[in-house]
Amino acid sequence: MKNAMNRLRSWEGFLLCALIFIILMNASLSHQFLSFSNVINLFQLSIEKIIVALIMTFIIINAEIDLSVGSMMGLSACAFGVLVQQGVPGGLAILICLSIGVLGGALNGWFIAKVGLPSLVVTLATLIGFRGLARVLVEDRGINDFPDWFDALGQKGIIAGVPFALIAFVVLFVILYVVLQRSGFGRKTYVIGTNRDVADFAGVDTARHKMIIFIASGVISAFAGLLYAARVGAVRGDVALGFELDIITIVLLGGVSIFGGTGTLTGTLLAILIVLSLRNGMALLNVTGHIQTGVIGLLLIASVIAPRIDLSRVFGGGGQQRTQK
Amino acid sequence: MKKLTGITAAAVLLGSTGFAAAADGAVSLESGKDIDMVLLPKFLGILVFDQANEGAQEAHAELGNPGELLFVGPTPENSTAGQIEIMTTSATQGQGAVMLSNNAGDQISPSALAAQKAGTKVVTWDSPIPSGEGEDVFVAQVDFGSIGVVMADMAHSILDGAGEMAVLSATPDASNQNAWIASMKEVLESDEKYADITLVDVVYGDDQAEVSYNRALALVDQHPDLGVIMSPTTVGIQAAAKAMQDEGLCEQVRVSGLGLPSEMASYTMNGCAPEFALWDFRDLGYLTYYTAYGLASGQLTGELGETFTAGRMGDYTIEQDPGREGSKRILMGPFTVYNAENVEAAAK
Repeated sequence: MKNAMNRLRSWEGFLLCALIFIILMNASLSHQFLSFSNVINLFQLSIEKIIVALIMTFIIINAEIDLSVGSMMGLSACAFGVLVQQGVPGGLAILICLSIGVLGGALNGWFIAKVGLPSLVVTLATLIGFRGLARVLVEDRGINDFPDWFDALGQKGIIAGVPFALIAFVVLFVILYVVLQRSGFGRKTYVIGTNRDVADFAGVDTARHKMIIFIASGVISAFAGLLYAARVGAVRGDVALGFELDIITIVLLGGVSIFGGTGTLTGTLLAILIVLSLRNGMALLNVTGHIQTGVIGLLLIASVIAPRIDLSRVFGGGGQQRTQK
Repeated sequence: MKKLTGITAAAVLLGSTGFAAAADGAVSLESGKDIDMVLLPKFLGILVFDQANEGAQEAHAELGNPGELLFVGPTPENSTAGQIEIMTTSATQGQGAVMLSNNAGDQISPSALAAQKAGTKVVTWDSPIPSGEGEDVFVAQVDFGSIGVVMADMAHSILDGAGEMAVLSATPDASNQNAWIASMKEVLESDEKYADITLVDVVYGDDQAEVSYNRALALVDQHPDLGVIMSPTTVGIQAAAKAMQDEGLCEQVRVSGLGLPSEMASYTMNGCAPEFALWDFRDLGYLTYYTAYGLASGQLTGELGETFTAGRMGDYTIEQDPGREGSKRILMGPFTVYNAENVEAAAK
């Protein structure tokens, strides 16, 4: 356990070094990189993904996966568009969309926690299902007549030029950090992720725990979908299509093990900053999309391999056999 | 100062005599201005966008712009978010102009407006911003209304006046595609000539060859009496023609729409796609570059009625876009219908 903690610490240390390196590189290659507006843009362009990455950290530490987050974002955004178009007041529409998030998350949670189906299968199904619903709602249209205050919330700064979504991200990070790293709920998240049977025998209500996490994932995804709609001022059926992969990539890069039980929100935060700075830096240097995707892919491979090499040294390779089957 | 008086003269001329006199007052763009520009396609890896880039590069060299012309685009699966990102980054970089073939619908508007605020001109080409918000001017390849007529006519000639037609489009929210399909529907409904042609389905192949191929085959399965697949996208028409050829269906179902001669020549010669139409994407890139260069260097104001000379292509005028109220366009037009007689020459 102590070794594992050391490894974790060193992985985060590695991420921190990488981050500093990337920031220095970017700052030296592009004089706009550290400007206030660019830093805001850097977060804003991916703000919905990084908000969901926070709750995804809980899910993966819990040895589960939620592939439906991108579709839930799309469903929530499209539902908002349709509701507003039908004349429902914006505030009420937001509440309805968040409720859709709760219901969708509960649906995932029920199949996974109570029925006992693998989360990969359940959320793959809801990935398709939620997306289908979103497309049915808006059909082939784009909807862009949102209330002005809603657009402003997504596009303008509210405190000292910092937009609402970024503040929401920071607040959510602090709350989730305390929950995961400082509370009993957080400790249970790790225990269940390490070995659910042991947790069951120890008297932890693992089903309830998973239910709560999946509902949180649903509602945060729905919230992120609304932020997206506000930021771009329009929705259509393909909103947030494929976002789940970027989100999971960030979490894994942050050192959270896909097999559950290890990882921290600090790691996720560092990974977020790395991916965002890297993408932004490459964009400022006019590196095209294909190469950007390739570089992020290489990073992910490195992030999966590096800890494993480390682990096999620590445990003499024995610890890996179980997971490689 | 000289160019300023030129513009004023043009404006006065236009103000008093309208469009007819425009040719005399055409602004001739001064070369050698240092302006960085970005050509932003829907996504990378599509031949017509590469051709547009060739045209833009040609204009770039011709105008002797010491600045940089970048051709950057998102990956297909990340098109919307990627276009928003590149638009935002361009504003940060202080680019003089972004030339955008919009694939993000109205979602691009906030970032385009922010770019304009930062002093970057936003010129759309190929596919405009539906609401027009955040766009200085749209360089239209052809009159969107006339595409409907041409497609209806091609269907009419292939079907010999009567039969079933289906549309294979790109993505559901490509504003150019939707405008063309809407215009074709209108033509079909309004003119007696097309009374016996039925539009049975509209499907989307996402501008990806494999998806389009499968959608084309699915159309044939679902509509046994289908006579023609009309695909107003170069990816879709080629995939559909290949699907019909592979399955030996060319006798029964013909393919038509908007295609590239170099990609379609063999299908036209073997009868799978007897007729299709297109404009020249090199010219579109060239004209778009001239427009953006003129706006970004301050030589054009972007006012309605302003006329300028776009190098080898001649004079063009900024006019009201009939399809989008309150938006401006520059109409390139016309386009060519290709068939067995002229396709091979054009393919070279």
